[in-house]
Amino acid sequence: MSTIRLQRMPIAPAKVSFVLRIISVLLALLTTAIVLWATGRDPIALGGKVISSTFGSTFGLEDLSLLLSPLIYCGLAVAVALRIGAWNIGAEGQFNFGAFCAAGIALFVPGPTWLILILMMVAGAIGGALWILIPTLARAYADVSELITTLLMNFVAMLLVYWVATGPWLDPSGMALATTARLPVSVPPVWGIVHWGLPIGIILAFALALFFTYTRWGYEVRIAGANAGAASYAGMPVKTQLIGVMLLSGAIAGLGGMMEVAGTVGRLQGGISNNYGYIGIMVAVLARAAPLGVLATAFFMAVILNGGIILQSQGLTTHTVLAVTGLILLYAAIGDEAAHYKVLRTKTGES
Amino acid sequence: MTGLPDPIQQRLGLAPGTPPILALKGVSKYFPGVIANEDVNLEVYPGEIHALLGENGAGKSTLMNIVTGIYKMDAGEVIVGGETRDFASPTDAIEAGIGMVHQHFKLVRAFTVAENVHLGWPDTPKRISRRTLETRTAKLSEELGLAVNPSAVVADISTGEQQRVEILRVLARDAKLLILDEPTAVLTPKEARELFAALRAFTARGNAVIFISHKLDEVMEISNRVTVLRGGRKVATEWTENCTEKSLAQMMVGREIVLTETGERAAPAADVAPCLSLSDVSLTTAQGTVLKNISLDLRPGEILGVAGVAGNGQRELTYVMTGLATPTSGTITLDGADVTQAGARAMAQKGIGHIPEDRLHSGMAPTLSITDNAVLREYSQPPLTRKGWFSPKGATNLAREIAKVAEVMVPDFAMPARNLSGGNQQRLVARREMRIADKILVAAYPSRGLDVGAINTMMRYFVELRDKGVGVLLISEELEELMNFSDRIAVMFHGEIMGIVPTKGADVEEIGLMMGGKRQEAAE
Ligand SMILES: Nc1ncnc2c1ncn2[C@@H]1O[C@H](COP(=O)(O)OP(=O)(O)OP(=O)(O)O)[C@@H](O)[C@H]1O
Ligand SMILES: [Mg+2]
Repeated sequence: MSTIRLQRMPIAPAKVSFVLRIISVLLALLTTAIVLWATGRDPIALGGKVISSTFGSTFGLEDLSLLLSPLIYCGLAVAVALRIGAWNIGAEGQFNFGAFCAAGIALFVPGPTWLILILMMVAGAIGGALWILIPTLARAYADVSELITTLLMNFVAMLLVYWVATGPWLDPSGMALATTARLPVSVPPVWGIVHWGLPIGIILAFALALFFTYTRWGYEVRIAGANAGAASYAGMPVKTQLIGVMLLSGAIAGLGGMMEVAGTVGRLQGGISNNYGYIGIMVAVLARAAPLGVLATAFFMAVILNGGIILQSQGLTTHTVLAVTGLILLYAAIGDEAAHYKVLRTKTGES
Repeated sequence: MTGLPDPIQQRLGLAPGTPPILALKGVSKYFPGVIANEDVNLEVYPGEIHALLGENGAGKSTLMNIVTGIYKMDAGEVIVGGETRDFASPTDAIEAGIGMVHQHFKLVRAFTVAENVHLGWPDTPKRISRRTLETRTAKLSEELGLAVNPSAVVADISTGEQQRVEILRVLARDAKLLILDEPTAVLTPKEARELFAALRAFTARGNAVIFISHKLDEVMEISNRVTVLRGGRKVATEWTENCTEKSLAQMMVGREIVLTETGERAAPAADVAPCLSLSDVSLTTAQGTVLKNISLDLRPGEILGVAGVAGNGQRELTYVMTGLATPTSGTITLDGADVTQAGARAMAQKGIGHIPEDRLHSGMAPTLSITDNAVLREYSQPPLTRKGWFSPKGATNLAREIAKVAEVMVPDFAMPARNLSGGNQQRLVARREMRIADKILVAAYPSRGLDVGAINTMMRYFVELRDKGVGVLLISEELEELMNFSDRIAVMFHGEIMGIVPTKGADVEEIGLMMGGKRQEAAE
């Protein structure tokens, strides 16, 4: 007689992890399908609808690309911080504040478009970095966990944007109730309504990947992220590194906010971040903090989100979409853990 | 073998036919590119202390990890109390009475001793007060003869006490077989003696111990039988009384090993200007004053030994000498220039290598690749980094070079460094540091975890460095090592230097007294 048992291995084989990732995604989709079916809908028809409206038309692909861009920025932001062992839960806030700073430049600084756009990018990035500055310093000098502080800063940024968009910066034309006027400049398009934000984000991902593998700094960050003790032993400026990397993380999220306000939306409005910052955490975790992996997982999340929007037009609520994304993360986490296990067949006593 | 009278039980004073507590039959384990164990047979009987010997990477830890269910064997059988078992986890193994204390401790550093002892133990009641936990721990500690302070936090206690906690954890769960992986590598001689007494009492109750060590004298002293592994295979199992340290070493290596002598040589002239000089250095940390008014000259071309019971400021001394800590007061000069505030990077760049006491926490990043770890000292210079660009290929080449001289077999340089055997990690770190030590090498317990041959090789390199004019600071608990290799010996006690004596003609007894806190008689 033989029994089947599980054994936990100290490390998960990469291949197994990858396969389990895919299985977990499929399982999440399957679970959703079952729920849809149980509530009297036709999951296959709905799924077909999602796929055809996403990939079957230029409009669909454009929408997908517009969703993809902020997810790449936010995913990269979280991933970069993770490389040095910091959790940036505040990409949402940095995205908002970056958008706010960029909009401020557009609305109040006159000048030639190209210059204003560059200034806006700089302002967005600096704004994002500023928004993570306090959590960064608190972590570096007082050992305060960045998990809570970055999260709290999100609410401040959200409220700030709501307030300016409905108050001081409200569209003077009286046409809108909760947004600023249309910004006088916008990020130029590359394809249809898809603007330069997307290619720049993709380039950024490649640049970061190169940076982590092929620069001295990248090596140092790797060591400091894996064992801060070893980094200081080797004389690396661990604090400076932590500060640098976290500010970079904030800047990337802030730049994402700038692209969103100046490329996709065209105005500053409350809720402009649309949870991208939080979804970015998922994107980064699924990608295991690898910049190129972020491109893949961001694309995947964009498809899910876009699918959600289509499902809404079919009479389903946003909660369904959130449930799907949550399920994927849950299954992925289970899959990651499961990858550590090996199935054993043990022969038990012949007696 | 059947049919013959079985002398093992007889010689151990057991009833004829007593079955072994543990028997391994043809156990094999392969890692990609490595034969960790192959066709290993082993029997351990009640009442015996069975030593397991072998060079670094011979497969000792792996074999024991198989027995305790951490690794799954690829072939073979593990028989416990006459039954074939295949433990899925250490928890299963301990339920069957087999417990292990690992080469690198696995305690939760932020928890108290009592909490660690009870952690993950099915016998621990679901709801229990701190007080009860501590009383239970105190009771166990007394019963088993292992002194611990139940309410202390693990991070604050000495390595020796941490080890007693580990052993207590295992024995409290009624282990019949205790496996100790290099238990004395981190113990003071006194702690080691106490451990031996506890082990003897344990086996006298009909239990057994498997004892992994590189210290042959201890193996000779404590074990009944020895099993030697080489390249993952068993070479022999012998009665210890039929062996000598020399024959054991020979079995491990497979050829005769010649132990180098330092060789007679003229002592370096005393008036050579010191390369590193500490004057009146004190260091106060959260733990209090850990270094007190230390004045010490390290001269080029000498090996300066530092004796003392571990935990008397040796670690902090290495920290201030390598720039990892800035002294609270006093000055440090390197070739006459003030380097008190220089910091670790500057000190390394000036040619100071540092073999740290605790390689896993400060000398390495165990989760990163062997390459990343091997280049930790030279990553920022050409050919690895040019104009800020880092060459992963150059890094792997350098790692390959270091592994080669360190005599570490590495199947895959991208593999996490923690997959290396304990001794091989130490070999890599030691080589890496010797490469940059143009001026000074600060070596804290460099032979910990190394096999006899590797210690010998390393000491030979130390002597070579010395002869090239490098100043070597050698911290060790083995007085014999210090007597053999150093030119002078400084003795530390409670963060102070009790005295410095020339090794030639040194009185071991006097050194012993200084280690206990007696100041050196003022020289006339
Ligand atoms: N998880 C692993 N993955 C790959 N190789 C491994 C792993 N664990 C051990 N090895 C390899 O197996 C061999 C045996 O290692 P092991 O740790 O058993 O040696 P050891 O006899 O305990 O040596 P030491 O005296 O240095 O502690 C080594 O070559 C080691 O690199
Ligand atoms: Mg070992």
